[in-house]
Amino acid sequence: MSQPKIIDDKWGKEAMMPTVEFYHSAIRRLVAEKFAASGKTWEEAVGDPSLELTRADFENIEQQLLATGYLFETSAQISFIEEPNKYKPVQGVGDSGTQGKDAQGRLIVGTGDNVFAAQDLEGTARFVGTVDVVMDMLINGVPEGTIAIIDDSGGTLTAPILEGFAGVVCMGATIRSHLGILTREYGIPCLMASELDGLVEGDRILVEYSKAAANAYAERDDAARALIVKIS
Amino acid sequence: MASNYTYAELLADNAWIRKSSDIFYWQCTTRTVQESKLFPVNPYIALSYYNCWYRYPELLRKIDAAMPAEEIGDRAREVSTGVNTIMLGIIQQFYLGGRQFLMDMGMINATDGIDDMKFVLDFTRRVNLGYHRQNSYILNSDDNNKGQIHPERTLQVFEADALGCKPGDKLHSAVVRFLATASQYAFLKNCECRLGINNSGPYKVGNNEMLVRDFIDLAEGDYPWLDGVTADIEYNNLTMPVIMKDTHFNIVDDWGSFEATPSYDHDNMIAVGLYTSDYLSNGYLPVHMNNASDLADYLDHSRETMATATSELWKRISGWSRDQMIDAGALVYYAVAKDLAHFAGVYEQNDWMQLEERTQRLKPIMNDEYGNHAIAELVGYISLSSQQNNPYNMNKWSDQPNDMWSAIPYSVLEGNEWTASVGPIRSGSTSLPPKTQKYTTTQGKLTQDECNAAARKFVSGPVAAGSKIYDDSWIKYNYASPEANNLYKATQENSRLLKGKGAGLSRADIDAIRIAAGEAPLGG
Repeated sequence: MSQPKIIDDKWGKEAMMPTVEFYHSAIRRLVAEKFAASGKTWEEAVGDPSLELTRADFENIEQQLLATGYLFETSAQISFIEEPNKYKPVQGVGDSGTQGKDAQGRLIVGTGDNVFAAQDLEGTARFVGTVDVVMDMLINGVPEGTIAIIDDSGGTLTAPILEGFAGVVCMGATIRSHLGILTREYGIPCLMASELDGLVEGDRILVEYSKAAANAYAERDDAARALIVKIS
Repeated sequence: MASNYTYAELLADNAWIRKSSDIFYWQCTTRTVQESKLFPVNPYIALSYYNCWYRYPELLRKIDAAMPAEEIGDRAREVSTGVNTIMLGIIQQFYLGGRQFLMDMGMINATDGIDDMKFVLDFTRRVNLGYHRQNSYILNSDDNNKGQIHPERTLQVFEADALGCKPGDKLHSAVVRFLATASQYAFLKNCECRLGINNSGPYKVGNNEMLVRDFIDLAEGDYPWLDGVTADIEYNNLTMPVIMKDTHFNIVDDWGSFEATPSYDHDNMIAVGLYTSDYLSNGYLPVHMNNASDLADYLDHSRETMATATSELWKRISGWSRDQMIDAGALVYYAVAKDLAHFAGVYEQNDWMQLEERTQRLKPIMNDEYGNHAIAELVGYISLSSQQNNPYNMNKWSDQPNDMWSAIPYSVLEGNEWTASVGPIRSGSTSLPPKTQKYTTTQGKLTQDECNAAARKFVSGPVAAGSKIYDDSWIKYNYASPEANNLYKATQENSRLLKGKGAGLSRADIDAIRIAAGEAPLGG
């Protein structure tokens, strides 16, 4: 084990994700080049500050990827705001036009895993996905009867206004996520891992929060998922 | 020259690496999903691991020199602080995560930093052994996911002093509201991670069970972003023992989070208490526990204070740059070991609230996608090249030929192909505003120097009375001795109903004492 070489690994393989593979293999190449040029043993080289990769090296590696036209998936809103040229815009809820209907003939615009069994709830769907929306609701109050449509299973974006929601429909994660934990503590009905189709801002919806709580350890069972139907 | 390892030591350390690797995989794949539209969570997690790799060796040595790790673990069992199940269970995980990333990038070999590895692995094992001494395990997962931290003398006080409640009454309603708000606030101040919440237990209370719920780092203290907006929060740590009927806590895991059968339902809560404590407190100090009404009023007050702090803190955070969000989140993760320094009296803000230059240089690659995917590969899929083993190998949980953390090659027992250390810590920085306020402790608001001076001379009553050597195995046969009585009385010093009662109390005595005080027994 005198020195690292590119993929000099009997059982190694490429990383699963393209971004990880691109970065890590580029870094390995750069380390190997610097090491080979140093003329030192690995033990002499590994702690030598003059041979360390620098911030500029990592910037160059990212630039190599961006130069291919690649755009990163966005996770936090701030990332896209600060560097819109690096990130793909966040996609909204689509509309397949092929939604089913419930027994009353109402359009089914989504399903989700129920965090805890409560009562069915009718309310107004309001998308809460940005700092600006949260700030507005923090200053002006959460409109009564709001069923918050959230694409974030975390507990921080909606922290100051969560208590004001009549219900929550979250498009991310599982019932054990932070938002699932918090809605249960507040007693706010909540669906997690929701899949939406054709739901738009301001829709009147009925959410089947009376469905039994989802089993976090069970395989997915579509019949056990709560329905979201469009009233008007 | 061979490394400083003996064969036996290296066998033990590789077993500790493997145990850590296996339990972290189980925790990461079954217990959580990390996501936030506010914080770039996985980029900051990934970045924090590097800071752990570069800084823990020197900082943990500094702590150990002032107070041995096992001694800190021992003292930490007497109070609720950041030296708890969740923090202690992941110090070595984050450190090994930094190592694995750097190995995968070809920046280090598995044979690098060997003296550092030996020290950090030994330190983290010792501190966990000290903290988990009550059940003689090293992690909750070894005990089928039970967190049996406290001895009888502490639990007797929690049970005896707990104030009864039932659904709909003033105290019950206040507790439910408080727990929701405190949980919400904890996630926000910790930048979306759960490190501010910890639970121990379950503890048997007759036919019922007690869960001890901790909320940590609530007030102005180590996190500089809490300065000002949390000035009205009086206590840095709060502990709420909750006694439940018809509930079995079947999981209290290595992250101090719980599951129950049937599902946790506040309606099954029959009694609660509230305490504060820290590295400077004489055990657990009751908070407004004179009667149920007094406690309910305080919980409502505390809830309102935390709700206000949540709004003000959210406004502050929502104005941060991405760099500031990354720094704050990475520091929360990296600083899981910071309270060890408080116990030892060697806490320095710049040690624990800065990212050093070797970490900072990696920021350019920490975009959202890389952060999400790198963490997913590292701790979820175990799919990085460096994590793959020989094709006959089967992982403990997944049956795949991989392991999250690579073992140390036994080649370091001979020859020169290894290195000792990452070297001394280097200068650090942060994009966050510097800390300006004092640190909230049970001895008042103190400066950093005052905190350290107080810690170095502080010995709590139970520790002075021999908590280290008079464990339950000894108490069993010596409960009538003066030493046992002194220890129990030291623990009962602030108890509403047990003050001065000593070591001879049985659970039936606790029931009788509660009945005499006009309160219902809690054993069901």
